[in-house]
Amino acid sequence: MNQKRTMTLNLTDQEMSVLDQLSVQKDLSKTALIRQALRLYQLVDARITRGEKLFFEDHDKQKAELMVL
Amino acid sequence: MRETIQIIDAQTGAPVDAEIFDEVALPHFIETQAEWRPVILAAARALSQQPNQGLLIPRHFHWDWTRKEAELKLLAVKFYGLAHAGKLQGIMKVETVAHSCRLPEQQGKPLVYIDYIESAPWNIKKLMGALGQPQRFRAVGTRLFEAAVLQSQEEGFRGRLGLHSLPGSEGFYINESGMTPVGRDPHKENLLWCEFTREQAEKYLAGE
Repeated sequence: MNQKRTMTLNLTDQEMSVLDQLSVQKDLSKTALIRQALRLYQLVDARITRGEKLFFEDHDKQKAELMVL
Repeated sequence: MRETIQIIDAQTGAPVDAEIFDEVALPHFIETQAEWRPVILAAARALSQQPNQGLLIPRHFHWDWTRKEAELKLLAVKFYGLAHAGKLQGIMKVETVAHSCRLPEQQGKPLVYIDYIESAPWNIKKLMGALGQPQRFRAVGTRLFEAAVLQSQEEGFRGRLGLHSLPGSEGFYINESGMTPVGRDPHKENLLWCEFTREQAEKYLAGE
């Protein structure tokens, strides 16, 4: 693994609550969860930057484009 | 990451030192195209001229690692190389966000997904046999597979690992490695999805 650096993350109670909940749900530490979120954000951003689109499909096969900032 | 591991000299059966590393770069991809592909194509040509050898023709002979260059910058993707005496003997691509567990007891949890794993053609007995040459090294794929299991533990995924197995590799993943065959995936050429739980990964690394 690459050398890691430490940072302080300031979150609201609600954000921390979501982080706690997702950590339990995904069986990940909070650090691992934040790292996953960063990877996913970069992956989605890279594909949108090169002109691809991100869609969600519901149970009726209706597609909705997801806007990513 | 760069560590010394051991692979097996297929002719003598003796262990030999090799290096496994994750600082894979474009020159490694080019090496696979320049040095591996001609051998694979020659072996595929020889196999195609033998009766009933269709299943032995490598399914991945068209894979082009150089197309993966853009992915070298992605945090969600990691490449491993395995080299002996400065020569690439195997390469693997893993992903950490695009797939999740499918086994009911760990469904939806993150895992390390092995997208592709390849040994140099001179390490594949059937290919070298078709060319009338000896296999060079054994255990290259196994060492890369182990690196993926270790990555899963280091990532905090507790050893959870998944892959789509090519038909010729199902025996290795299920019988030799102890992965659970979850089912065929119609979205991925009907390949068999295999998965490691935490316990299976621990057993595998312990050599049980």
